[in-house]
Amino acid sequence: MATCTGCSLLCEDIEAALENGALSHVKNLCRKGHGHFQAAFTERTVPMIDGQQVDLDRAIAKAAEILRNARSPLLYGWSNSTLEAQAAGIKLAEKLGATIDDTSSFCQGILMERILSGKIPTCTLDDVRNYADTSIFWGSDPSSSHPRHLSRFSYYPRGEKRQKSYEEERTCIAVDVRKSATAKLCSNYYFRVAPGGDGEFLEAILAVLDGKIPRVGDKKKMIEFGSILKKTEWGAIFPGLGMIYSLQDKMELFERLLAKLNEITTFKVIPMVGHYNMRGFNELMREKTGFINRVSFKGGARAHGPEHSVVAAARTCDAALVIGSDPLSALPFGTARALARLPLIAIDPRRSMTTDAAKVVIPSALSGLEAGGTAARMDGVRIKFEPIIDTQLLSDEQIITRIMEAI
Amino acid sequence: MADVVEVTIVTVRDIFQDEAGRKSRFSDEYKNLSALIILDKQDLIRLKAKDGQRLLVKNDVGSIVVAARTSEDDAHPGIAFMYNSPWSNQLVSDNVCESSIPGFKSIKATLSAAETNITQITEIQARMQS
Ligand code: SF4
Repeated sequence: MATCTGCSLLCEDIEAALENGALSHVKNLCRKGHGHFQAAFTERTVPMIDGQQVDLDRAIAKAAEILRNARSPLLYGWSNSTLEAQAAGIKLAEKLGATIDDTSSFCQGILMERILSGKIPTCTLDDVRNYADTSIFWGSDPSSSHPRHLSRFSYYPRGEKRQKSYEEERTCIAVDVRKSATAKLCSNYYFRVAPGGDGEFLEAILAVLDGKIPRVGDKKKMIEFGSILKKTEWGAIFPGLGMIYSLQDKMELFERLLAKLNEITTFKVIPMVGHYNMRGFNELMREKTGFINRVSFKGGARAHGPEHSVVAAARTCDAALVIGSDPLSALPFGTARALARLPLIAIDPRRSMTTDAAKVVIPSALSGLEAGGTAARMDGVRIKFEPIIDTQLLSDEQIITRIMEAI
Repeated sequence: MADVVEVTIVTVRDIFQDEAGRKSRFSDEYKNLSALIILDKQDLIRLKAKDGQRLLVKNDVGSIVVAARTSEDDAHPGIAFMYNSPWSNQLVSDNVCESSIPGFKSIKATLSAAETNITQITEIQARMQS
């Protein structure tokens, strides 16, 4: 049995058979996971310096030289690496006095910080499967981002206390700016918000829960929403980037909603983390530094703040190591261009816009398929996996360790 | 076509585009599923544009040429959707506040007829090196 690292559900029930170096048969993968597995067989990277293929030792030595000579290096990525690789990365950042950040700084970080510090109540996905009668997808669209979420945990399964499942016992609700694939599935329970309007929407629900008439939105719909929440026995909210980007500094309103709901009934929150081990990085960083991301170890200190986010640090650092991530494709053009102009080291199993622009490319084994390790699922449950394909390629952890030794 | 139409672009996810990007960022399949903008019917009428037509999407940050696609959703005039990709990121400012979050879901831009072809990923790569 293999584990899919295509998203933070880390499905552990994947059957995959190989023949002549290609997948001949797979079972239980969703479309996204299938793309992820197929990717192992195309566009693989080779060790490169300045666009020329070199041997691996030279690429590692060059990466070490760039980092050793940098005054303010940035180590970025990490959300697609195992906990073991992340721990090695944090050590490397300390050793170099570098800035370290991951994808959470511009996605789920502001919510994850509240989850890990206990300000917002959370639970496991197994609790959701066993107990939840209401699942709310708020600014998230699992049918696109976490395709097996509804079938494994939140809507279709027959859980311990939910044997009658979606036919009778479970309700799923979508709150979104558009009628996403998930919102279509929720049909009557789709609530549209205006872009950036999640704060107003939250205020309206809080008013309804207090027995008041909401001042904004479709009053009838808001009252209907409030009454579903009140009737819920055990509810789960799954916020996506739609909600987080919209709320940002109004996240306190969401905390208030959870506090209010938990006076009436039980409601828990699981952030819809995208990358397979973003949460793992946040947990490790919190354990080691007190902060979940955006930390600089410059001068032996532990400085934290927006100036140490990848978006800001891309402009101030003088070299960058990017691991398992493609910021040149995923970040705003200005940030991507700033990174592209740096001496850039890319550690990645596959070709990307970042590896194309990198001075040094170091190929790595694909986690789950070619490299084992441990990762934190979106709900924090630790999943250990073994590789199913033999490879000579080094894992992220081995590469970081080799770079550290060379430094 | 009308001269220019202003929209707010919200970036979203799509499983088909995601899968194509996982297989290859450099494929035509990924480009065809990324270099597009989903518009409300009224906005297409205002632009006198048809489904599939090339549009120049422009703001202070950058510009791209993408294909128009008619939205199947309930009416949302003035709001457009793009799948998150290097194309949409050409229009996202890296000026961020305390939260460190760029405005991926609130991109103000203008739409007009395009004189050139759909922006290629190689053009985006060249812009990064320029
Ligand atoms: S839901 Fe996520 S982890 Fe599960 S098979 Fe699909 S991509 Fe892989």
